[in-house]
Amino acid sequence: MSEQERPSGEESAAQAEQPAPRPHRGPPIETADETLSERGEATAKRLAAALGADAVAAGGRGETPWARVEPSALERTLRRCRDDDALRFDMLHCLLAVDYVERIELDYVLASVAHNRKAIIKVDLPPDAPSAPTATHLWQAAAWYEREAHDLFGVVFDGNDDLAPLLLFEGFEGRPGLKSFPLHEYEEY
Amino acid sequence: MEGTAAPMSAEPQTGVVDMMLNMGPQHPATHGVFRMVLSIDGERVVGVRPHIGYLHRGSEKLSEHESYGQVITLFDRLDYVSNLNNELVFARAAEELMGVEAPERAQYIRTILCELNRVASHLLFIGTYALDVGAMTPVMYTFRERERVQNLFEHVTGARMMHNYFRIGGVKEDVPGDFAERVRSVVRHLREGVEETDRLLTFNEVYLARTRGVGVISAADAVSCGLTGPCLRGSGVAYDVRKAYPYEVYDRLEFDVPVGEFGDCWDRYWVRLQECYESLRMTEQALEQMPDGLVMAPGRRIARPPKGEAYAHAENPRGDIGVFLVSDGTDKPYRVKVRPPSFCNLVGLERMMDGAYVADAVAILGSLDIVLGEVDR
Repeated sequence: MSEQERPSGEESAAQAEQPAPRPHRGPPIETADETLSERGEATAKRLAAALGADAVAAGGRGETPWARVEPSALERTLRRCRDDDALRFDMLHCLLAVDYVERIELDYVLASVAHNRKAIIKVDLPPDAPSAPTATHLWQAAAWYEREAHDLFGVVFDGNDDLAPLLLFEGFEGRPGLKSFPLHEYEEY
Repeated sequence: MEGTAAPMSAEPQTGVVDMMLNMGPQHPATHGVFRMVLSIDGERVVGVRPHIGYLHRGSEKLSEHESYGQVITLFDRLDYVSNLNNELVFARAAEELMGVEAPERAQYIRTILCELNRVASHLLFIGTYALDVGAMTPVMYTFRERERVQNLFEHVTGARMMHNYFRIGGVKEDVPGDFAERVRSVVRHLREGVEETDRLLTFNEVYLARTRGVGVISAADAVSCGLTGPCLRGSGVAYDVRKAYPYEVYDRLEFDVPVGEFGDCWDRYWVRLQECYESLRMTEQALEQMPDGLVMAPGRRIARPPKGEAYAHAENPRGDIGVFLVSDGTDKPYRVKVRPPSFCNLVGLERMMDGAYVADAVAILGSLDIVLGEVDR
């Protein structure tokens, strides 16, 4: 807010009580380096070969490489990850959403129980109406993860007709996982 | 019942759901506040709808507002019967992001305590599960033995439960001087105690009748549902994080991964029982190998992982617990997501209940060994 726009008098006192975004203090922010182990490198190669041009970005740390895909390519990417002979990710290890405010990221942590491999498929969704295709037909484990992500982040999974509240009670309003949901100011009763 | 359109049972059915039976949330056999609604056709269960969330405390959201050191206390309260195993996985996630490795002695201490914690947790399961299927005595024996482990933990960490002992980069303080002696004594007692329970329960005819062939889940279904730990190994899949992705000092210890054959309740019980023996074996080996030295990696007093994300997982008594940690470079995590093994194991409940008798519902649920603190977070 520039000097000219700043309201004066009583209004400014009310404004001053609004918490302004705190500037970062403390040591400068470092970025973690991403290095894959030998096994992670091998998985990353297989993943890159299987996804081809669908992977718009890739990286990873330790034994877990990741690849980012467009929402339109998500369904076929996941199917390929499960069925491709080089990957065989037979378990959906975890599915989670992260609210980066300007985007909501879904992370599909995939694991191969038979070959001891894991990888993460990332997809960015718009924050105003996040929606992604369901993965329940690929892994049964997806059902509850999707309900949870819908509960806490409001992500809609197309094709999953059972998105009833799982962790929250029915009738709860708001998406507690989002950064915009207050932690302390929220009153239930 | 929506979502359960698949054919449920080979038994002839009228195709009419006679009754919906509500079980929980206040029910002694649900081991917490868990509710399930059974659809019943005669004596058979044709559908089950689990309801969770009664214990949802928003641990993941709370973690975003605590410093890294404080988050460990929240992890204690997820799976409240295997606290140390939970602490370990968060500490490891942060360590991975920071590029810190705990000193060797700390890794050995953590391994020993985690394995003893596993035995304590499994003993709790064996006792309460025997209660679930109608045997009143074993719980007395297993609780007596479990108490030995809790006493040791109190001696080492200062608390029977909710230890808050592991730190990012090591453990809070070195173990007391008589640690090795006391661990050896506990291991000796535990082995006798587990053997005693084994003799009493494992091939008991009534116990076999209640658990053999009940709640069967195939290996393919188990993997697809995301089952891990004894529930997955009971179905014959030898997946153990300690073998698949060795962490701490597990690559230096000799141990077997017991697997079941049919994926029924008895197999899941048997796997846990055998794991008790394996854990005691590991504890003894680790104690032999434990070196002297530091118990905390040198570095900043306040953990401030660099910007980035890490996924760490470890073998919890209930299965594969994972933590997805996103850091924005400040002293508080940006996002913490827990992959709770009990939560995923519950997804398999529907498959296990397919066509089961109503009388077996409690036996099947009990065999999953869920802890609601972790399911609901």
